[in-house]
Amino acid sequence: MTETRATRSGIPAAEGTYPPTEAMLAEPVPAELQRAQAERLRAAWAAPKGWRYWSAVNNTEVGVWYCMTAFVFMLMAGIMALIIRLQLAVPENDLISADRFNQLFTMHGSAMMFLFSVPLFEAISILLLPGLLGARDMPFPRLSAYGYWCFLIGGVFVIGSIFFDVAPRSGWFMYPPLATKDEGMGSDIWLLGLSFIEVASIAAAVELIVGTLKCRPPGMRVNVMPLYAWYVLVVGGMILFAFPPLIAGDFLFELERSFDWPFFDPERGGDPMLWQHLFWIFGHPEVYIIFLPSIAIAAMIIPTVARRPIVGYSWIVLSAVGTGFLSFGLWVHHMFATGLPSISLGFFSAASEAVVIPTGIQLFAFLATLMLGKVRVTLPMLWITGALAIFTMGGLTGVMLALAPFDFQAHDSYFVVAHLHYTLFGGMIFPVVAGVYYFFPFFRKKLLSERLGRWSFWLTFSGFNLCFLPMHLTGLFGMPRRIYAYPAGLGWDGLNMISTVGAFVIAAGFAVLAWDIVRPKGRQPQIPRNPWDAGTLEWSHDVPGESWGVRSIPHVTTRYPLWDQPGMLARMDSGRYYLPDAEEGRRETLLTSVIDAEPVQVQRVTGPTWITHLAAFFTGGAFIFPTFHWYPPAIVSGILAVACIIWWLWRDTARPPEDETKDVGLGLRLPTYASGPASAGWWAIWITMLGDATAFASVIFGFFFYWTARPDFPPDGAAHADGTLVALACAGFALSWAMTIGARELNRRGAVGAARLGLGLGPLLAIAASAALLGSVWTLAPTSHVYPAILWAIAVWVVAHSIVAVIMQAYCLAGSIFGKLTPRYDADLWNSTLFWHFHALAALVACAVLGLAPRLL
Amino acid sequence: MTDRHTPEKDSAEFAAEAGSLWRITFAPATWAGHFLLCYTLFATGCAKGWPVGTVRHGLIGMSVLALAVIALIGWRAYAQWSPRSTGRIVNPRGDAEDRHHFLGHAGFLLAVISFIGVVFVTLPLLLLEGCR
Repeated sequence: MTETRATRSGIPAAEGTYPPTEAMLAEPVPAELQRAQAERLRAAWAAPKGWRYWSAVNNTEVGVWYCMTAFVFMLMAGIMALIIRLQLAVPENDLISADRFNQLFTMHGSAMMFLFSVPLFEAISILLLPGLLGARDMPFPRLSAYGYWCFLIGGVFVIGSIFFDVAPRSGWFMYPPLATKDEGMGSDIWLLGLSFIEVASIAAAVELIVGTLKCRPPGMRVNVMPLYAWYVLVVGGMILFAFPPLIAGDFLFELERSFDWPFFDPERGGDPMLWQHLFWIFGHPEVYIIFLPSIAIAAMIIPTVARRPIVGYSWIVLSAVGTGFLSFGLWVHHMFATGLPSISLGFFSAASEAVVIPTGIQLFAFLATLMLGKVRVTLPMLWITGALAIFTMGGLTGVMLALAPFDFQAHDSYFVVAHLHYTLFGGMIFPVVAGVYYFFPFFRKKLLSERLGRWSFWLTFSGFNLCFLPMHLTGLFGMPRRIYAYPAGLGWDGLNMISTVGAFVIAAGFAVLAWDIVRPKGRQPQIPRNPWDAGTLEWSHDVPGESWGVRSIPHVTTRYPLWDQPGMLARMDSGRYYLPDAEEGRRETLLTSVIDAEPVQVQRVTGPTWITHLAAFFTGGAFIFPTFHWYPPAIVSGILAVACIIWWLWRDTARPPEDETKDVGLGLRLPTYASGPASAGWWAIWITMLGDATAFASVIFGFFFYWTARPDFPPDGAAHADGTLVALACAGFALSWAMTIGARELNRRGAVGAARLGLGLGPLLAIAASAALLGSVWTLAPTSHVYPAILWAIAVWVVAHSIVAVIMQAYCLAGSIFGKLTPRYDADLWNSTLFWHFHALAALVACAVLGLAPRLL
Repeated sequence: MTDRHTPEKDSAEFAAEAGSLWRITFAPATWAGHFLLCYTLFATGCAKGWPVGTVRHGLIGMSVLALAVIALIGWRAYAQWSPRSTGRIVNPRGDAEDRHHFLGHAGFLLAVISFIGVVFVTLPLLLLEGCR
């Protein structure tokens, strides 16, 4: 597939020998050359020094900041939990006010989910994935950095609100009408702050998916890639389908909060249930988005401690992919008590039971590996053992709760609190801490303390069970979750006291862990390079550390190359494999084909910069100012953010290369430029737009949800969108799309003038179409009823995307005029056309819903 | 590293799935489509007062169809895995042949789990009636 596209554009395909022969690999590299190459590589990849250090984009730097930031947010959310437990320790306590209590439990849940669990997956993957894949870095290092700075700004903003007594206080799932009617800005902080972070999450998902598909080392076919990479692929895909419904929900919710458009207000035709659906379509897969990458860490540790390959590799792939799918069929089990028809509950109950099968399979595969291997109970293994025990408990109460009749009894009680903490501690915290102990030598080139680690484990494990095991009973005795105080004598007193004591024991365990991580380790002797005798590629890292990722990119043909390919490590170190040099002093990595990882391209990778900080700062402004209803500065921030991103793309991405091909070593020459499906950027757009299309589909789902759920939708005699203007908009978008496609084809055939004409007319048509679309709903009053409101929302969505689409056309036009985009080097135009495919489809669907649906329904 | 294939030979022999991981997701996607159909049709039918008996029987028919589709996908994936003819159940080698069989194995297992998933989701259709 990739070759044909590359050839059509005139860019030469890969040429030379592949795969390398044994004779080529056996040929030594002269020592002098090795030294010179290493010197050049080191210079190209060095992280900046001094205060410029913070402009670094290397995955090893950004990944560590990301992890540490998420860890700090976790500790803060943990302290909130301790205050909650103190308040509940004794009956009729008045340690804190009810309002403060509401803020604390809302922020505890929100921070643990949005500021710790999901970002930590991204952080660990950014840090780890290039190592696992023997890659130099992620394909888009600046995107990781931008995502990190967005996360930091948004996280500080959201969690900081608790210090000003304005934190959100309606629970982490923000149910309307409580959250929509809530006075103060708490709900806005939640909606806007977390939307901002969700955008960063999607950016990371794009990066990780493209990294896994295109940056594997030559030869690492899909059946030999590390299981962690499979999980990253699945979880990245899940993020693309799970987060957008929440973003769409946030969009509607914030329109209601800011402009009084009544999406969730039943008095004006809205329906609070829509929020519950959108939230849990996100919220349940979210649980697996947290769980799968953590269990992926277990899948890396277990073969190492068992000293044998994993048992049932295909079975684990099955369980990861299967869980990924099934987890989208569970969302209504959070809504069993909302009065839906019992047969609907039945479907979700059945799917909730079915998901146990793939989840169980992977645990059994782990147990089988341990049974067949010679296990050494190292510290990481100890934590994995704890994880398996606790997660199994949580899984079993999950099976109970998936049964609707039981859930009716236990709903919103402490039984649910116990269940969710068992699954999240067992499915996330324990495996992640195991990963911290296991991978710390890889991250920091130091070992954590065995003694402190055992202390931490036993404190956390026993404290956890002390805290949460009694909660099952507290819940069955009838204590609802989220209550601020309770009367004495209901049988809850002692159980609550035990839970509070347990919470502090957990805190002690985490304090030991935190100390072990931050304590100075300067006097520790240099660690061995592969301290656990693992077989996967990340343990080919350099000790002391180097920032080049790998010295040369190996040819990998086994699942555990360090065990099964003797001599590989020495060859990597001597620069015998691919890309051993950085002759031009620029950062480069190898792109390979999706299935079989055949080398296809040398990709220039971007280096240190401040533009990502500026872009993140202004993006933050665009999200944060609206919480204060300061719209003009928000709009200015948004414009500046777009300007920064354009500047960054224009200067440093998809520039025509000096040479068309480059010698990458071992007798192979690879092209230095690709456009269309052969390029990493095209895949990134494709994946982003898949997520964007999901968000748009969620808004459209809202329209049809109102139609099914409400008898007065559309209300009798309601004014509809203007049919003529909708038809004009439809034609305008279709023509602008055609102009873009035409420009791409003409440009490739060398008709540059005609292509420029298309790129000049396209934006005009798109602007006219957007004006027509807005005009079609202009006379409708969105505050009067949900029907005009949802029509407006759809129009606003499409027009906002049109702005991006027009910028892309103009960007390509400018590129063509200033020589960045030529008939041969046309990646920008391919990417813009791809965006336009999605945008045109969305616009046509929007026109159909605005123009046709009300007349047909 | 002993059994090396040239790319030309590989692409000729196992060109079928080149460039695409999608095929292993066909069976679970069928499950997802069936699941969504069951949920949305019933929810809409109950809200709009459609004859739910007809909806229910139609959906049971859809279940049979979904199971047949998944069985077909699973059978083809099994043929691609071909554990009997090759005598090898696992495919850990980094060559095109093992990748080919591996994708068959993964597809087959996903078809099995999807089949079970459709059976599970069909049970409420068989056991419950009406919109209450």
